[in-house]
Amino acid sequence: MTKDISDEASPSTEGKSVPEAKAPSGPLKDVSLLVGGQGGDGTLTVADLLARYFSSQKMYVYGSRRIMSRIRGGYAAGTTRASVDPVWAQKGTHDVIVAFYQDAITFGQKELSPDGIILVDEKVATAEGSHVYSLPMSLTAASSVGNALYKNTLSFGVLSVMMDMDRDAARAVVQKRFGKMSEERRTKNLTAFDLGVKMAVDHVGEKPLVSVAKGTASGQHLTNGNQAAALGFIVGGARFFSGYPITPATPILETMQEYLPKFGGVVRQVEDELSAINMALGAAYAGVRSLTATSGPGFSLMSEAVGHAGMAEIPVVIVDCQRVGPSTGQPTRHEQSDILSAVFMSHGESPRIVIAPGSAEDAFNMAPIALNLAEKWQMPVIVLMDQALCENTQSSPAFDLNKIHIDRGKLLTEKELQEKEVYKRYEFTEDGISPRVVPGMKGGQYQATGNEHDEWGHVTVNLQNRNQMMAKRMNRTNLAKADLPTPIIWGEKKKGKLGFIGFGSTYGPIREAQTMLRQKGVTSRFYQARTIWPVPVETLKPFLESVETTYVVEHNYQGQLAMLIREYLGDAELKHILKYDGESFRAKEIVKQVEGGQ
Amino acid sequence: MVEYVKPITPSWCPGCGDFSVLAALKKSLLELKIPPEKTALIGGIGCAGGYHNFTDAYGYHSMHGRLLPTAIGVKLANPSLTVIAAGGDGDGYAIGMGHFIHTLKKNVSIVYVVMNNETYGLTTGQASPTSPVGFEGNLEEPFNAVLTALSLPSTSFVARGFSGLAKDLTTLMTEAIQFAQDRKGFAFLEVLSPCVTYNNNFDEWRGKVEDVSKLPDYEPTSRTKAFSLCLDVMERGKIPIGKIFSPSPDKLQPSLDVQVVPNPDEAPAKLDISMEHNLERYQKLLASLG
Repeated sequence: MTKDISDEASPSTEGKSVPEAKAPSGPLKDVSLLVGGQGGDGTLTVADLLARYFSSQKMYVYGSRRIMSRIRGGYAAGTTRASVDPVWAQKGTHDVIVAFYQDAITFGQKELSPDGIILVDEKVATAEGSHVYSLPMSLTAASSVGNALYKNTLSFGVLSVMMDMDRDAARAVVQKRFGKMSEERRTKNLTAFDLGVKMAVDHVGEKPLVSVAKGTASGQHLTNGNQAAALGFIVGGARFFSGYPITPATPILETMQEYLPKFGGVVRQVEDELSAINMALGAAYAGVRSLTATSGPGFSLMSEAVGHAGMAEIPVVIVDCQRVGPSTGQPTRHEQSDILSAVFMSHGESPRIVIAPGSAEDAFNMAPIALNLAEKWQMPVIVLMDQALCENTQSSPAFDLNKIHIDRGKLLTEKELQEKEVYKRYEFTEDGISPRVVPGMKGGQYQATGNEHDEWGHVTVNLQNRNQMMAKRMNRTNLAKADLPTPIIWGEKKKGKLGFIGFGSTYGPIREAQTMLRQKGVTSRFYQARTIWPVPVETLKPFLESVETTYVVEHNYQGQLAMLIREYLGDAELKHILKYDGESFRAKEIVKQVEGGQ
Repeated sequence: MVEYVKPITPSWCPGCGDFSVLAALKKSLLELKIPPEKTALIGGIGCAGGYHNFTDAYGYHSMHGRLLPTAIGVKLANPSLTVIAAGGDGDGYAIGMGHFIHTLKKNVSIVYVVMNNETYGLTTGQASPTSPVGFEGNLEEPFNAVLTALSLPSTSFVARGFSGLAKDLTTLMTEAIQFAQDRKGFAFLEVLSPCVTYNNNFDEWRGKVEDVSKLPDYEPTSRTKAFSLCLDVMERGKIPIGKIFSPSPDKLQPSLDVQVVPNPDEAPAKLDISMEHNLERYQKLLASLG
């Protein structure tokens, strides 16, 4: 068993052992920038401007952030990676570092590529070497724009020269990024950009230091997983959302607040997660596609309601944006450690479905499926995401509305109800699904309940009824299997030496690790799990037989996904690649683990 | 005519105060001509919370203490429904206290009936948040929900009834339901409803209740007067009942449901969510993202 990957993925270049600057050999097809500053100083804005710019230049973009759970102070960094080929993970090395804080040098330099350059905010941070450009960005922003914080947009102006950007396109990005702000702030940002351009020309010269290849991607959406999921839920017909702010799930609430009312939906920020889930359940009972989104601590609070929804057979969707746990854990950091919680949470035994998208595009596509599954199978559906997927910006092909269909399952119309002689909400049926009605329909009255109940919804302790009702609820999870998101197998078509199993954001690093291994002559197959529960034994078994050694790659200590798989495929020999330090895997870390384990 | 759920016989002890509350509820709904299919009765956990099983309306037995968020979800999804939440004092003032305060603050047009028996009946008589000092070793001062409700600026309708005064209780219930039915906001009705097995204070309460509407300085549209009148009555060792507070129409804040779902015919539960109906708007939404 291999675990506890150290942070020593690349050779240390700390202190003064900075590599000599070299002239870049040609336009970079895959470029990564790190912008590091202090929390609250707008550093992430620069990363965002860069992402928007490269996206406008038809590059594939992946942006990530490393922040502390505080609003001001502390090291905060954003990275933007742009490539002519699709990318779903951090590059692991940076070609440009922008330092507004000494920590950006201390930590970032370790990941600087040999040809990399460093742009330093003069008198704020220092670095040495011929590849270091120290410019008075904060000072100029303060004296010429009126506030040192305009250093951010100013630095983007500097970079536009250093990196040979299309100047008009870069300026347009600034214009659009601050378009919703006041006229004054927009103007000042444009001024800062222009000052940056001038500063670069004056101090460094017109000649670009880094040039980036042109991309060919078109029709791209640039979103993070949270935004993509929220949009997916809206087009999937969700019209009620109740939530409580919690990192890293809050952007789902905010995206819903921004767009859902335009479609007649109701969004409520409520007093706690208990209220959030129960309000969603009330709305679902009344006939609306409803959901909530949360993270670790809020997810734990919803535990009782997951069982309740299973018992009362109320369709509801819960998004869990996993972060480092337990308890408050590390609110801004990455982990995939709620797997067993999602599968088993709540006392007693109750049905649920757990699915997991691997990218922003997948999150958009899977959201309507989650809503369909909840209504068709009349049980809670948990969409398991993780911090990196939730918050990291990525390019997706244009979201495809043609793929979406709405299936409300056995939801009766008034007319269908009137044609019945008897209506029993919890009627025993062959497929375990009882026809559903909503309040307001005449003759459909019933008692929804979390108590064990008979077919009418009345409380009972009848022994035979208890057995039948348990079977009705619990069997349905298995019956639902044919409807669940299927895995995607990446890499070799039929057989491979190595097998990888992972879900969520590990999708990116695992796919890149596969490419790196292939270059070394090692064939591999990657089972991207998109359904976690019920365990997709039917697809896992043949996959395991198609490879010699299988690694389950996941962000937790116990190897929770491997534990689940072993429960159903006991003879499977699974090796672990685990990481729980709060950061996402880099592809090379996976490769190193594999090589160490052979 | 489709055959649907029939009321079952209440499981309450003979003589339980909750029978009066159920009777008042049924009478009020009949009087207001609200049909059972347009009524959603949300119940909490405990003896009182099972009341909806004894009706032929739509019912929902919620999680312990969570009946209010549930009821609000139902109302915001479909404001055409008459939504009534009812439960006991343990459910509402102990485990559900956070939601109680926030429901007062939210001001959604639902009715909340708390059957207060000052004990935990179903778990055999422990002290509840409203139990007096000394009851079953209770050391804490009892919680007063009426005074708490009056202290929130968003409060719109506050009343207290007594199971032993069935006719007056029905009048209060009818008024509370009508208030919510008109979408004026949250209607809170606490009912002193004795537990005949563990805390039978029918006789004690009968001697203590004092209908504020019969007092000379009764002015239910004034929050200040309502508050001081309640304190006056309590200082005499009595319990204020009756319609305690209901501001004049010009002082009413708009209810949350009116603000977020102004037209009940366009409520979330009534929207067409088909792709055909929405495709054009979805395309515009995605195009706006860039």
